[in-house]
Amino acid sequence: MDLSLTESQEMLRTTARSFMQRETPVDVVVGLQKAESSLERDLWAKAARLGWLGIVLPAEYGGSGDSLSDAAVLYEELGRGPLPGPFFSSGVLGALTVLEAGTDEQRRRILPGVATGETVLTVAITEPNTSWGPGGITLAPQGRNGSFVLNGTKLFVSDATSATDLIVAVRTGDGPTDVSLLHVDAKARGVSTRRLPGFLSWQCEVSFDNVQVPATSLLGEAQRGWAALSRALERAIPILCAYIVGGCQAVYEKSVLYTQTRVQFGVPIGRFQRVQDHVVRLVNHLDSARWATWEALWKLDTGRPATASVHMAKAVASEAYLDVCNAAHEVHAGMGVLIEYGLPAHTQMSRTLFHYLGDPRWHKRRMADALEW
Amino acid sequence: MDFEVTYTEEQQRFRREVRAWLEANVAPSMLRTPTSAEDNYRRYLELRDLGRKLGAKGWLYPTAPAKYGGGGLDVDHAIILEEEVDRFDLSLPPYYDSGGRLGSASILVWGTEEQRQAFLPPIYCGEVRTWQLLTEPGAGSDLAGVRMTTAVRDGDGYVIRGQKIFVGSDNGTDRIWMIVNTDPKGKRHENLSWFMIDASLPGITMQPMELMGTGGEGGTDSGVKQTVFFDDVRVPAFALVGGENKGWTVATTHLELEHGGGGRIGRNRVWDRLLRYCQETKRDGVPLSQQQDVRDSLADIYIKTEVQRLFGLRNFYLTYARKPKSYEGPQLSYYRKTTGLWMTGAILEAVGPAALTTDPAWGAPSGFLETQQRNGIVSVHPGGTTDIQRVQMARRIGIGRSTREKAGTVHGAE
Repeated sequence: MDLSLTESQEMLRTTARSFMQRETPVDVVVGLQKAESSLERDLWAKAARLGWLGIVLPAEYGGSGDSLSDAAVLYEELGRGPLPGPFFSSGVLGALTVLEAGTDEQRRRILPGVATGETVLTVAITEPNTSWGPGGITLAPQGRNGSFVLNGTKLFVSDATSATDLIVAVRTGDGPTDVSLLHVDAKARGVSTRRLPGFLSWQCEVSFDNVQVPATSLLGEAQRGWAALSRALERAIPILCAYIVGGCQAVYEKSVLYTQTRVQFGVPIGRFQRVQDHVVRLVNHLDSARWATWEALWKLDTGRPATASVHMAKAVASEAYLDVCNAAHEVHAGMGVLIEYGLPAHTQMSRTLFHYLGDPRWHKRRMADALEW
Repeated sequence: MDFEVTYTEEQQRFRREVRAWLEANVAPSMLRTPTSAEDNYRRYLELRDLGRKLGAKGWLYPTAPAKYGGGGLDVDHAIILEEEVDRFDLSLPPYYDSGGRLGSASILVWGTEEQRQAFLPPIYCGEVRTWQLLTEPGAGSDLAGVRMTTAVRDGDGYVIRGQKIFVGSDNGTDRIWMIVNTDPKGKRHENLSWFMIDASLPGITMQPMELMGTGGEGGTDSGVKQTVFFDDVRVPAFALVGGENKGWTVATTHLELEHGGGGRIGRNRVWDRLLRYCQETKRDGVPLSQQQDVRDSLADIYIKTEVQRLFGLRNFYLTYARKPKSYEGPQLSYYRKTTGLWMTGAILEAVGPAALTTDPAWGAPSGFLETQQRNGIVSVHPGGTTDIQRVQMARRIGIGRSTREKAGTVHGAE
């Protein structure tokens, strides 16, 4: 038993943290919030040079072949920002989906560009019905002259406005999991992407209007898309959870500092037990999310059955981030809702990731199924 | 990270040895729910007998130093023992021995060599059972406010006078590990002392308290408590541990362990049995576990027990790998207590009124859910209330006071 990070993980953490402190202080994160695209060219290029975009990819596809736990160390640091950008969408979920679904030729064609950052992937799963299960995938391509034609809408697609390539889950049969994955050029005629307005972070609408997709765009085999996507999600979700843990950690540190320095009634507000209760609630959520996430990562990296743990981690982390931000707002009061202070970026992200890739209730039900109750 | 102990061939052999030994020495009757007060006492004697047998093998206190009669085993072997004993729904020790666990740890850190040699072997070998006596009518959460029970120096010993409440379990005790006031005019935190004394000394009387909880010898928790009166009890000076008026320093070790700082690796017994019950019990012809609302409740309950397990595992690791801790001990305690309390409602909602009755025909088997309904509430207070745990956490996080408080010393104690 050893619940500490390895030496190389500690090094990665130090590198990532100093990068974040240097390149993305609060004002930068806040400044990016209103951009239509989450991708900031300069940051993206630097991250690519550090090898962060191919961190989950094997060396043969241009990646660094690190473990999921290693990637989680990095994403925990990115989550502290919370750093915007298609890091997870492309470098983790997109990369793992191509890795799981694609033929070897497709992997060799697509993945090296993901690692260098020239290709920016995102995976389009849910639709206006907002289900994250296979039943929610109703967008059905029409076959024409050996190619596909897409008409319809994918919704809540992360970072689609900065993607060069879309992986689109489509319905190709009547069976519950008759789903296939199409690799679609985001610039193809008839594809339009739009960041959804409101209290959510770079969740996009992707519309398809008579989009012609060549037959060679089918990733792997038809009808095997859901199985491949499920495998990719099982490995990707804990890394998203690590990003959430980083967010919780940053909000916790912000809150502790505020209770130590904000003086009211002549004393730092941390002396008040009512205020302390918010911080206790915060740290309990943070640690719940952290250890649920790390146990899931450990199971995946060591080849143990991990499905139930992954569902649990997402349920716990999603709930944690949401309520961590709520508690932080109770601690910070007026200061907390000031955009430039940086807490609202977390709050908005916590709401976004609450639902993204499945909300807590959905994951708890899948967890119960996986445990065969 | 590695969440599991990797067992060597030698350790796997040890596990087989332990399992075979337990199967030969733990009679199924030891796990029964007692049917009467007499039966409760008989069961207690059987568990004490098992404790002595475990003690003879060094398995009662596996990581305690061998030179004082402990097992002298490393953490990995201790985990194996805990896991195997846990399979029988027992703990180490297999009876309520709070003063043994916490008193021996404090004596290891703060006692003299002579005291270690005198006090520790009987605890580690299972010869004696020890209760801790902390709370008084006027000093509960505010332990530093102990003043009703005093020890006054008198010749070569001390005379103890006063009253302690919420003590121990059922069936009496051999030894007493207690904190008393040794300087009524002294400053707070500089007026307390700890004694390890014989429970049969003249002047000590006990009277059971009638409480809402059930279960006399639960291992770590007990639903039955006593009031203990001290009427000019003469004790030798040798019984004073850690120095006169140094009791608050000793208490930091005691409280750190009591507040969850040592961690835990066992499974959640309520959960296993709750799931089985829900799978085997039908409502409207459908097993409870297949009904969506019950399933949702079960998922919430399961996740809480899992997070509690992870916190226990983390504290266990931090303790035995000798890593620095701050708020983690009281956090585990807080989480365990609030989860138990919350679960009373969640289980009642999932299972319905069968959770409330011990009736053999209509209640959940052997009344285990009824026990949870009571003890989930009772457990809020022992070893520090949920609010005290939060106060501790805040101080250690560094917001409750101007200087950040350190965790208590437990190293040397494991």
